[in-house]
Amino acid sequence: MTPVLTFRRSRTSKFVDRLMRGVLWGLAILFVLVLVVFVGAILKQGWPVLNLGFLTKMPETLDAGGGIKPQIFNSLYLVVLSLGLSLPVGLGAGVYMAEYAGKGRMLNFLRLCIETLAATPSIVLALFGMIVFVQAMGWSFSIRSGALTLALLNIPVITRVTEVSLLAVPRELKEASYGLGATKLQTILKVTLPYAATGILTGLVLTAGRAFGESAILVFTAGTNASAHFPDFRLTVPGETLSVHLWYVTSDGTLPDAREIAAGTAAVVILVLLTLNLLVRLVDRAIRRRTRSGLFST
Amino acid sequence: MEAGQEPPFAATGAPVLQHSRFHRLSDRWAHLAFLACSLLVVGLIGGILFFLASRGLAAFWPVAGNTGRTLSLSEVFLSTDWAPSSDHFGIVPFIAGSLGVTGLALLIAAPAGILTGVFIAKLAPTWMRNLMRQVMDLLVGIPSVVYGIFGLTVVLPFVSGTWLAEAPASGFAVAALILAVMIVPTIVSLSTDAFESLPTSLDEGAQALGSSRWQAIWHVLIPAARPRLLTAAVLGLGRAIGEAMAVQMVIGNNPQWMALMRESTDRAPFLRALFTPAATLTTELVQELPNTPAGSPWNNVLFAMGLLLYLLTMVLILATRRLGRGKEA
Amino acid sequence: MLTPTLPETKPIKLSVRNMAFSYGTKKVLDGLSMDIHAERVTAIIGPSGCGKSTFLKCFNRIHEVSSTVNVSGDMLIDGVDIYRGGIDEVDLRRRVGMVFQKPNPFPKSIYENVAFGPRLFGVTDRSSLDGIVEDALRKAALWDEVKDRLKESATGMSGGQQQRLCIARALAVNPEVLLMDEPCSALDPIATAKIEDLITDLKENLTIVIVTHNMQQAARVSDYTAFFWLGRLVEMDLTERIFTTPRVQMTEDYITGRFG
Repeated sequence: MTPVLTFRRSRTSKFVDRLMRGVLWGLAILFVLVLVVFVGAILKQGWPVLNLGFLTKMPETLDAGGGIKPQIFNSLYLVVLSLGLSLPVGLGAGVYMAEYAGKGRMLNFLRLCIETLAATPSIVLALFGMIVFVQAMGWSFSIRSGALTLALLNIPVITRVTEVSLLAVPRELKEASYGLGATKLQTILKVTLPYAATGILTGLVLTAGRAFGESAILVFTAGTNASAHFPDFRLTVPGETLSVHLWYVTSDGTLPDAREIAAGTAAVVILVLLTLNLLVRLVDRAIRRRTRSGLFST
Repeated sequence: MEAGQEPPFAATGAPVLQHSRFHRLSDRWAHLAFLACSLLVVGLIGGILFFLASRGLAAFWPVAGNTGRTLSLSEVFLSTDWAPSSDHFGIVPFIAGSLGVTGLALLIAAPAGILTGVFIAKLAPTWMRNLMRQVMDLLVGIPSVVYGIFGLTVVLPFVSGTWLAEAPASGFAVAALILAVMIVPTIVSLSTDAFESLPTSLDEGAQALGSSRWQAIWHVLIPAARPRLLTAAVLGLGRAIGEAMAVQMVIGNNPQWMALMRESTDRAPFLRALFTPAATLTTELVQELPNTPAGSPWNNVLFAMGLLLYLLTMVLILATRRLGRGKEA
Repeated sequence: MLTPTLPETKPIKLSVRNMAFSYGTKKVLDGLSMDIHAERVTAIIGPSGCGKSTFLKCFNRIHEVSSTVNVSGDMLIDGVDIYRGGIDEVDLRRRVGMVFQKPNPFPKSIYENVAFGPRLFGVTDRSSLDGIVEDALRKAALWDEVKDRLKESATGMSGGQQQRLCIARALAVNPEVLLMDEPCSALDPIATAKIEDLITDLKENLTIVIVTHNMQQAARVSDYTAFFWLGRLVEMDLTERIFTTPRVQMTEDYITGRFG
């Protein structure tokens, strides 16, 4: 009655297994190559342009030979300002979600909002910034319009990173603090946040990188012109950044050496981001070592 | 501790420590401050919707500040004729363009990303896993304008002049390829998580029955991770549909692409579809918004396109929620 | 101390000679030798961490799925070396089935779980599949409970049913050996009793090796019992003898609960 069956593995299934393992390896190697070719091409194109003059000269509007000094300044200035604006809000919201919201509808709803804001295309944030800051507030294309809108891009990332880092803090640590009679705020400030600092700091550097590379938002809020003064800390002047400059010279096309300027700018952007990436790793390692050697034991 | 008041001592002689009023109050205020930060985020979601709607919907209602005529919904959402200077405002070419380029990008990125995810989670040796993580981290960190300039200076010249396309070769194909590389890291990282969170017992169970590695992946792991893989694809889709600068730099920016594609007969249809200069919702916004006067129907329709993108984002996020819930059931 | 001396009529199915196992530099098993007879139930007992589960997993090389390991010495199935005899590990796992500690049904229907194995080996025709599925479910004493809901998801079953489904799933590819790694540790007493009955029925034409930390279970279901301690085989004998007159003092101490 029992069907006597002998199961034999077919040659094809063995072949398919080999084949697909090969395909997966190939695919992974392809992505490594894409990155290498990408970064290689950008740096190779930009290398001939990159010199001290290019980095320290003011840009030209019609002639060849302009530099990118104010764009470098504006990029850094906008990153710092937008982070300064978004850090308190992002941290606060992250702390609220991890420590206060509890589990339930409120937390779910907040997460939904953060996810939505994180997924909102930057061009949509740009439109919002244009309506509210550029037009309604009458601030026109300026550093302040740009910084405020750019902050909207940062907030969900910082919030998420803060929440995740705080949730990763071992419960025993918090309980130990409460067990000593610490208030919730004391526990958060003295135990939870320091413990989560590595994660939050790493997230901050990554956020800075994202803000540094952002262009769509700034084209519509900080504008495509750079101040003729240097360094210009005024919040009311237009502030073209490196990424925006790169886009603008390419699509505008009035500069005779637009190609070279764009190539050089792209190389600078990539170099800065690679440096930031390296920095993240170093910071991460340094803090981790310090934590292990007793950030809390002292 | 209030001034002049000695701490009370218990019978043992040890001080009974109490929180000062400052500590108690700051604890309460901190709670409110953190709550306020969260509510600000909620407010932002609503605020963006409100302001975009106030400008976008003005195209269809006679609102104060409008300088031109009021448009009907059908002439905007159902017409393929985009010629603002001659009073035609059909945005179908942009919606179709967005869907086309996004769909194409997802067609490349979703399978590639999911397979790379399974490779990282289940097959790669440790060194390769670490290498892939770094590669994906770097790819996701490259700004979209740099992707754009790469497309413009490397990919387009590479393709144009070949049998595929004449110069400048801009259109859906190159835009989708660039977009695919941009969204792959998102899909890879989410699907890696999805595969890593599956219990090893599933993998072992399949292999204990005589599955090959690939059979276990294909017949058990991928089906088991499906809800989260779909979520990964949807989030990738969201990123792709909202991407503006990189696409704008390589797609050719031709609002009349549908007509051009229909009329030209010089190449095989699929090549025509892939290499005709086109436009999308985002590229058109970047291209035209700075040149249009506020309050004009043209300007209002552009904001309506932005509103549409925002609503689409919301729908996609809600879709991922649905998918997530399906997983738990 | 090697193989018990009794008039054994069944041939040797699995045999192990001077086998050692290590993860990286950490030695988990050492100097193991034993013979396992066909159509008998062999139980492996010992305190947790003694390497009994690891040992079991060596018979179908399933540990290779998640880590790199090193096995030395000989492990033979029908006289052919499992590791060096040119056997493909995938073919080996078809011949040597396994039931895991926790039930691990795939998130598919009951039917698809059982049909999964046969499908892997190219059985596609519906009526053969139906036959195999029914037969396997009957052997696992599950058919009557699930015959009307074969299309339902396996994850909705009770723990005991899930484990019997996993047994049916393993039986569906006609294995010669069935490895059971504490199959009842996640189950209640009633479900446990059902699985134990099943084991006794199944040994008719299967070689069963079961790892258990429940000594009563070993006594109830097995013909032979091996006692492991710290990665070594202390004693192996007829179950009856192990539980009545063990030769090694340590075995007696363990089964009477004096340590472990």
